[in-house]
Amino acid sequence: MAVETSGRWRGVRTAAILLAIWEIVGRLEMVAGGALPGISEILIRLWVDWGDYPRHIWATLYASTLGFVIGNTLGIGAGVIFALSPTTLRLFRGVNIAAFALPPIAIAPILVLTLSGMAPRIALAALGVYFVTMTATVIGLSQADSRATDVIRAYGGTRWDILRRVQFRGALPSILAGLRVAAPNAVLGAILAEFGGGGRWGLGAYLLGSLGRGEPDRLWGIGLVATLIAGLSYGVFALLASRTIGATRAVTLNTAVPDAEPMVSAPSKRIALTLGTIALPFLVWWAFIKLTGVPGLISKTPLGVVDYLFFAPTAESAQTRLLAALAETLPITFLGMAAGLGFAFVLAISSRLFPRAIEAFMPVALVTQTMPLVALTPLLVLILGRGTSLTLWVTISVTFFPAFVTLAQGLALVPRSAEDLPRAYGAGRWTEMRMVTIPASLPYLFAATRLTVPRALLGVMIAEWLATGKGLGNLLNQSRGFLDYGMIWTVAAVSVLLSVIFYQAVVIVERRVLRRLGMATAE
Amino acid sequence: MTLRLNRRHFLGTAAASVAATSLPLRASAATPFTMQAAWINDAEFAGYFIGIDEGYYSEEGLDLTYLSGGPDVIPESTIIAGRADLALTTPDTTIKAIAEQGAPFKIIGAQYQKNPIGIVSLASNPILEPKDLIGKTLAVPPVNVISVNAMLALNGIDPADVNIVPYAYDPTPLIQGEIDASLDFTTNVPYTISQQGVEATSFLLYDFGFTIYNDTVVVTEETLANKRAELVSWLRASRKGWDENFKDPNLWPQKWADTWFAGTGRTIDDEIFFNNAQQPLMESPAGYMAMTEEGIEANLRALSEVGIKGTRDMFDTTLLEEI
Repeated sequence: MAVETSGRWRGVRTAAILLAIWEIVGRLEMVAGGALPGISEILIRLWVDWGDYPRHIWATLYASTLGFVIGNTLGIGAGVIFALSPTTLRLFRGVNIAAFALPPIAIAPILVLTLSGMAPRIALAALGVYFVTMTATVIGLSQADSRATDVIRAYGGTRWDILRRVQFRGALPSILAGLRVAAPNAVLGAILAEFGGGGRWGLGAYLLGSLGRGEPDRLWGIGLVATLIAGLSYGVFALLASRTIGATRAVTLNTAVPDAEPMVSAPSKRIALTLGTIALPFLVWWAFIKLTGVPGLISKTPLGVVDYLFFAPTAESAQTRLLAALAETLPITFLGMAAGLGFAFVLAISSRLFPRAIEAFMPVALVTQTMPLVALTPLLVLILGRGTSLTLWVTISVTFFPAFVTLAQGLALVPRSAEDLPRAYGAGRWTEMRMVTIPASLPYLFAATRLTVPRALLGVMIAEWLATGKGLGNLLNQSRGFLDYGMIWTVAAVSVLLSVIFYQAVVIVERRVLRRLGMATAE
Repeated sequence: MTLRLNRRHFLGTAAASVAATSLPLRASAATPFTMQAAWINDAEFAGYFIGIDEGYYSEEGLDLTYLSGGPDVIPESTIIAGRADLALTTPDTTIKAIAEQGAPFKIIGAQYQKNPIGIVSLASNPILEPKDLIGKTLAVPPVNVISVNAMLALNGIDPADVNIVPYAYDPTPLIQGEIDASLDFTTNVPYTISQQGVEATSFLLYDFGFTIYNDTVVVTEETLANKRAELVSWLRASRKGWDENFKDPNLWPQKWADTWFAGTGRTIDDEIFFNNAQQPLMESPAGYMAMTEEGIEANLRALSEVGIKGTRDMFDTTLLEEI
């Protein structure tokens, strides 16, 4: 107890030191000629501006709550269906990977084109939560205690009875943990759509209006409020979870797209299912356009994009521009994947070797996850310029956090007894790390890679859009000035497709390697 | 605060619907009509706000819904999708879409006779004309690259000689000297920069050959055919709004501190500066929103220099004549 208390105090002390350094650096305008304001300047500004905030916060809460409810209803509903029917789960694998991997900045303009009013915000918020909750539901339901289900079955209970009496109860902690992670996603999705979508209220809209003033303290204030809302929404569900189930669970969630058991069925059926899996995302895309009823001139179906890229009179020019953009974006994306993963790995290792330092770093890391990057752009370009290093750091900031959490969890789960062996032979911390801990956490390294790889493209596109003016991110934005709707849809489709391919490539390598080493996939 | 507003709004709507249903015999309720603006609420749209607040549109029998814009909003998309009857656009974008994609648009009026877009730089590192840009770093919003390339080409400058980077709406990199200039509304940004204690200078693309309008009033051909009377009414009420606005450009922005400009993140002083600065860019001997033959000719000439082949029939001036 005493140890714990002093540990907590040490945490507070480290945080206080960090804040003091930030304050001094900010006040003395030591970073980027004052583009990083001191903490007190940000807070004072927040106080002065406070009159503006309530309606913006209200609008953001409204859209994110609605998106949260819709996304979770879909997520839990789909999760139940998937848990009951492995065939459906298999069939929807493509859709699920796409939902996980799609880069929000490529989707936001599409949503603003096709939906109106609050709908784009709600849709982007819902997209942010669907995957997390769906996965949590499937895992929760499939981990039911088989003895309990056997009891129900022995007493003549139906499938529904099992679901209701055993599986749902067993799944509750998992689902609640899912909701906890999903809640901040909804807030961030709503803010992104507010930024671009042209409404009057919402923190995203406030951020856009404030950008032109060149006052970083205001921008940081908005970022801080966004962080607070995201953090509180996480906290509310964390509290709910601990109240309901009386126990806390790990902060992390399964990062794998749930996959059905390998099927033993006719090859013809398997091929049909695989084709269906690939076709379904495109069918969903097509159905979305038909349902919104937006004219073909501005909304492109999958066939419309194929036509635009290959058969239309402008196809050649479109291909040239797309390929040029890809040639700029892809190399740096691969570099970004490596950098993001590397950063997370170093951080995870350090958290074992120097736990204190990393503990103090975590609040800063959390802020980078919820601070809208557009508000940080001036600071970033002033410090890093507009070259490769900026793109890499933006990519790292977009990717490292979930990967770090997964890796740290993996490192922590290595059996003590295995670690004791090298120690008994007099090995140092690092040797023990290298010989036992790191190899043993290989499944988690793969899980982290799965998380990082699709998001790296998002990071690169954000940097291209905000700072470097190259590649896919820039092509997407320039296409708006040309009313080149075909290209807007093409970039969105290509970026989702690439993210899915990156994800699937990791899954394939992961299965091969882990099978060879006789290890199980980390969930 | 929010709750009260919402409730009042709800009660108002409820009362209005009760009134509407209890008076079924009252003829010709105002026609619903929607306009899509080009950006978030600022002085750029003052004339329309006056028209709404002072009832100019309702006097014309229009029940106007005003949609503000933003970075992801392409105004033309809103009218194609049928979510608005009319949109304020940039003419280069609109004309290119008509010429190259056969988009069914007509331009029926123009808010800015001179496009307010210009090159803004610091007085301490001034860029006073296009050739000063050679070898410099210029930040341009991706959607406006088309306009900058046009201006450079018109002045015999190879765009490759200017380092063009994205502009993310924040002047901080300019103030700090990370970039040498940015492309933005000259009616606005010099003021915000001066607020940071730095003096700015600017020139209009318009004054260097890129002689185009801005905030052109665009409708689909279908709307033009079906809602001609409403469009003329809208133009008439809007002109009245702008006439009223420029009687005293300092007056209106202050009145909107708690309505149109509430919570936009910008200051009222900024809007007053904006409103004054935009007056010379909007004035026309033929009245606000006008399109003269010389003006149209200048637009087409500038655009043809950069390969956008517009024609006179993309503009329809007959509605303005009916005002």
